[in-house]
Amino acid sequence: MDFILLHQNHFKMFLPEVFLATSILILTLYATYVVSSHFLGYPIITSGFNKICLLVLSLTLLLVCNNTIPFMLTYNNTFIFDALTTYSKGLIIFFSIVCMAIFEDSLLRQKINNFEYFILLLCAVLGLMLLVSSFDLISLYLAIELQSLCLYVLAAAKKDSTFSTEAGLKYFILGSFSSGLLLFGISVIYGTVGTTNFENLSLLFAGSNEILSNLESSIIIGLVFISAAFFFKIAAAPLHMWSPDVYEGAPVSSTIFFAVIPKIAMFSVFLRLFQNVFSNFHDFFLLATVLFAMFSVTIGSFVALKQKKIKRLLAYSSISHVGYMLLAFSANSIEGTQALFFYLIIYMVTSVVLWSLLLSVNTSTNTERSKTLVDLSYLSTTNPLLAFTGLVAFFSLAGVPPLAGFYAKMTIFLTTISSSLIFASVFAILTSVISSYYYIRIIKNLYFEKRENTTFFIPVTRSCSLVMGSSSFLLIYFFINPTLLMLLAEKMALCLF
Amino acid sequence: MYFFIQQYVPIFFLLIIAIGLSGVILGASYLLGVQKPDTEKVSVYECGFDPYEDARNVFDVRFYLVAILFIIFDLEAMFLFPWSISLGHLTSMGFWTMVDFLVELTIGFVYAWKLGALEWE
Repeated sequence: MDFILLHQNHFKMFLPEVFLATSILILTLYATYVVSSHFLGYPIITSGFNKICLLVLSLTLLLVCNNTIPFMLTYNNTFIFDALTTYSKGLIIFFSIVCMAIFEDSLLRQKINNFEYFILLLCAVLGLMLLVSSFDLISLYLAIELQSLCLYVLAAAKKDSTFSTEAGLKYFILGSFSSGLLLFGISVIYGTVGTTNFENLSLLFAGSNEILSNLESSIIIGLVFISAAFFFKIAAAPLHMWSPDVYEGAPVSSTIFFAVIPKIAMFSVFLRLFQNVFSNFHDFFLLATVLFAMFSVTIGSFVALKQKKIKRLLAYSSISHVGYMLLAFSANSIEGTQALFFYLIIYMVTSVVLWSLLLSVNTSTNTERSKTLVDLSYLSTTNPLLAFTGLVAFFSLAGVPPLAGFYAKMTIFLTTISSSLIFASVFAILTSVISSYYYIRIIKNLYFEKRENTTFFIPVTRSCSLVMGSSSFLLIYFFINPTLLMLLAEKMALCLF
Repeated sequence: MYFFIQQYVPIFFLLIIAIGLSGVILGASYLLGVQKPDTEKVSVYECGFDPYEDARNVFDVRFYLVAILFIIFDLEAMFLFPWSISLGHLTSMGFWTMVDFLVELTIGFVYAWKLGALEWE
C-alpha cells in the first residue's frame, strides 16, 4: 500500500495551511530577487506586496471555507479539524485581512519598507492556524513558538526606533519565559502519564481510577504551569505587565495585529485542552480562572483611569475584557463558552474600529509620535462621521444598550450567575461601571473638548473608512439581530463538550 | 509513589555518578598534573576577546549574523544524520518530508545570500 495514498485525505484537510506555507516560500523568493535586483534599481515594494499578501490570505480563507469534511483527526492524531477549528481559522484569516488592509498607509508613513514584515505576518497567521488545529501538546507548543517568534520580530519592526526595539526585546524575553513555563508544564504532564496526545489524555482521565487519584497532585503541578503560560499569552492580570509596554512601543501596525488576532486562537486551543481534555480537573480551573478574571477586571479598570496615551489605554482595556472572557470560561457550561466566543468576536469587531480610528486621526504634525487622548479632541467638528464611529465603538466596549457590546456582556453575566458565581459576577459588573468612566471620558474628548488652535486631519484612507463603516454597522446590526453570531458561537462551543 | 521511584531512580544514580566522576577528574588533574604557568598559558583565548571586561563596548553586529546563520546550517546537519541512518526503515513520506525541509532551508539560504548577509564587507 502506498503511504502517500493513505495520507491523501489528511493532505486535503491541510490544504489551506499547505497553500499558505507554499505561498510564503514563493513570495520570499520573489521579493528577495526583486528587492536585491540592480536592474530594477532596488525598488521598495511595500504597497504592491501588501496587495499580493491580501490575495494570498483571501485564497486561504476560500480554501478554509471550502472544507467539506466536518470532523477528522490527522497525522497520528496530532491535528484536529472540526467546526471550532474551521470557524476560528476563518475568523483569524478574515481579521488578518482587515488588519493588513487598514495598516498599509501607516506602514508607508512610518517608513517600514522591509518586505519581511509581510512574510512574518503571514507566518504568524500560519502559526495561529496550526495552533487552532493542534491536538497534541507538542504540536501546540511548536505552533505557539511559530506565531510568537514572528510576533517578537513584528514588535521590533521599526529598527531605528528605541521604543520599538525595547518593545520587541521585552516581548521576546517575557514571551520566551512563558514558553519555558509551558514546556515545563508539558514535561511534568508527560513525565506523569507518559502521553502528550489530547485524545489519549482525555481517555486516561475519563474514568475515575485508583492510579490517577495518586497522580493527581503532579498533574495539577503541570496544569499550573500550562495555565500560567496561557494566562500570560492572553495578557490576563497579574501576568499582564508585558502587554501595555509592547502595545505602546511596537509600531501601530504590529499593535493592531497583537490586539485583535491571537486571542481567539489561544482561547480556542486552550479551552479545548482545559474543558475537553482536563475536564476532571474543573475545580482547579474554576479557582484559577475566577482569580485571574477578578484580578484582570480590577487592574484593567483602575489602572486605565490614569492613562494618557491611547495605545496604553486600549491595552489596559483589553486586559479587563480578557477578564470578562475568563469569567465566562469559569462558568464551565456550553452557554458560558458560547458567551465567551460571542464576546470575543464582538470584541474583535470593536477593536478593529478603534484601531482604524487611531490610524485615522493624523494631523500633519503628530504622525510620528504615539497618540494621546488630546489628539482626539475637536474631532466632532472637523470630522463628525469619524467622531460618531468612535462614539459607537467606545459605547459598545463599555456595554451601552443599543449596541452589540451590551449583549456580549449581558450573556456573560447571565451565564456566570446561572453557574452560581454570584460574587464574581457582581464584582465584575461593579468594575465594568468603573471602566465605563474612561470610555465616556474619551467620548467627552471627541465631542465636548475645545481645542486652542484649529487643526486639520489628514484624509482618512479608503480601506480604513470602509472597515470602520462596515464594522460599526455590524456593531449596531448585531444588537438588532445577534442570531447569526450566537449560532456561530454555539457551534464553536459545542465542539468542546 | 513507588512507580515514580522505580522510574526515576536510574536518573538519580546517573546524577550521583556524574558529580562524583567530574570531581575525581578535576581533582586528579589538579593534584597529579605538573603546574608550570606562564603568560601565554594563563591568558584567555576566547575568540580573541577578553571575557572579563566591561560588557558595554562596541561589538560588530556581523559576528551575530554569522553565528545565527552557522547555527541554522549546523542544525540542518544534526537533523540529516539520524535521518540518513534510519532511511532504510522510513516510508516514502519520511523521505519526502526531509526533501521538503531541505528545499525550505535552501530558500532561506538563497534569501540570506541575495540580501548580502554572507558578505563581510
